[in-house]
Amino acid sequence: MTVHDDSHPESDDQDQGLFSLDKSVTSRAYVAEIWKRRDFALSLPIEELQSSHKDTLFGNIWHLGNPLLTAGVYYLVFGKFLEVSRGVDNFVVWLIIGVFTYQLTSGTILGGASSITSRQGLMRSFRFPRAIVPISNMIGELLAFAFQFLVIVIFAFATGVGPSRRWFLLPVILLIHTAFNLGGSFIAARLNDGFRDIQQLIPFVLRLAMYASGVMFPLDRIVGRNDLVDWLVRLNPIASLINFYRWMILGTELNVATSALTVVESLLILWFGFRFFKVAEYRYGQS
Amino acid sequence: MTALSVQVTDLHIEFEVFSDRRAGLRQRLATQEGSGRRVIEAVNGVSFETRRGEAIGVIGSNGSGKSTLLSALAGLIKPTSGEILVSSEPKLLGVGAVLLNGATGIRNIRLGCLALGMSSEELDDRVAEIVEFTGLGEAIDRPLKTYSAGMRARLHFAISTAVQPEILLVDEALAVGDKEFRKKSRAKIESLLANAGTLFLVSHSTNEIQRLCTRGLWLEKGKILADGPVTDVVAEYGADN
Repeated sequence: MTVHDDSHPESDDQDQGLFSLDKSVTSRAYVAEIWKRRDFALSLPIEELQSSHKDTLFGNIWHLGNPLLTAGVYYLVFGKFLEVSRGVDNFVVWLIIGVFTYQLTSGTILGGASSITSRQGLMRSFRFPRAIVPISNMIGELLAFAFQFLVIVIFAFATGVGPSRRWFLLPVILLIHTAFNLGGSFIAARLNDGFRDIQQLIPFVLRLAMYASGVMFPLDRIVGRNDLVDWLVRLNPIASLINFYRWMILGTELNVATSALTVVESLLILWFGFRFFKVAEYRYGQS
Repeated sequence: MTALSVQVTDLHIEFEVFSDRRAGLRQRLATQEGSGRRVIEAVNGVSFETRRGEAIGVIGSNGSGKSTLLSALAGLIKPTSGEILVSSEPKLLGVGAVLLNGATGIRNIRLGCLALGMSSEELDDRVAEIVEFTGLGEAIDRPLKTYSAGMRARLHFAISTAVQPEILLVDEALAVGDKEFRKKSRAKIESLLANAGTLFLVSHSTNEIQRLCTRGLWLEKGKILADGPVTDVVAEYGADN
């Protein structure tokens, strides 16, 4: 047996002497370190996904069954009993797009915040870039969203919405959306590590953001009454992110200037969130 | 003399702990006291050097700072002050290491090896060999939560040695295994040392330390009380207890 560790380039430097493990690394080196552990980042959420419904009779069917039932309830309540349209064509599909895509954002941010505390044991046992913890939470949420998206497509087709060329932009939309979610998740994770009270507050912030993002009703219901609310709604990238999906599937209007602003905002939040998280790298999992 | 593998200089590690009784929010805001915060010096000015091929047995009573020292060597805890230099990233997997309880043994092996930095291609090549080494048989497909302490220890040891570290840190992992596994793990450690690796072994069993180690390090209240040939240090430790 040869004692040599190919996966660690630093062990090749051994002849040049000793090094310290706790020196902080550049962002580029940090990202490279995360990339090297990509299989680890992937295996965590997949493991969790596979074991999440193990104690149920239908098991993995629930990954699809849960969003299917959620959408079914909305269809019955809003589409059949109340016949709500709120001035929107195909309100049921419009609504479930809003609910599921907003759930991707709120789930990623809330899960990111709690992941730092719930994965403490893993962090105390293994040395790896801590950003992997919120990243693998994000991957888990994306996997759950894949099933929800399938349900959206099923309901869209069932209500006569056909595929269009806009659908080819799905990867781009997902990428922008994920940049925003991950950035928010990094920020929430760091804040929650410093003050555990944050975890109690985030759900309320997210619920407020939900009403300001046009998830359940069109935003023109709340704009035009108060200047401050108007500005908040206009700057809110989540509303615009949700609208990307509605534009893609239902062909709702898309404001080019607002969309461009959303792309910039999402990238800025990811950049800021990453740096904000990385600064406190050594503190995660210590307390 | 062979090359240095670890160099620790004036290492201090402090923990901030909260005592059970914390004062109310109003009192804390008014007086700035009663936050329940206390600082504990887990490691208090430790310095030593180790060379390749050395096996260091760390002994001391409960709470003497042994495990904290090992965690710091592994880079899992940031020193409050002082410096730790290493020739290669040490790998630590103590009995308390946390894996996924709901997942099977084999999935935990995959996860642990990936977490320690193994690539998935290398893992695919070697997973059978690692499973074989654990000697867990069919139990490898059972969830980790059904494992006994000894079975967990085997799994942990198999994972941490699978990445073939140059510096291996073992925290009480061996004593729990059965006789056959102890023999296997001993062979593994000997091959590591023969390849100019370095071993740190924390154990309460001075027998085990004497069997496996060449050098003893006696830690008490975060300070080194004795450092030297293992038989001398163990004798001194034994005389004191």
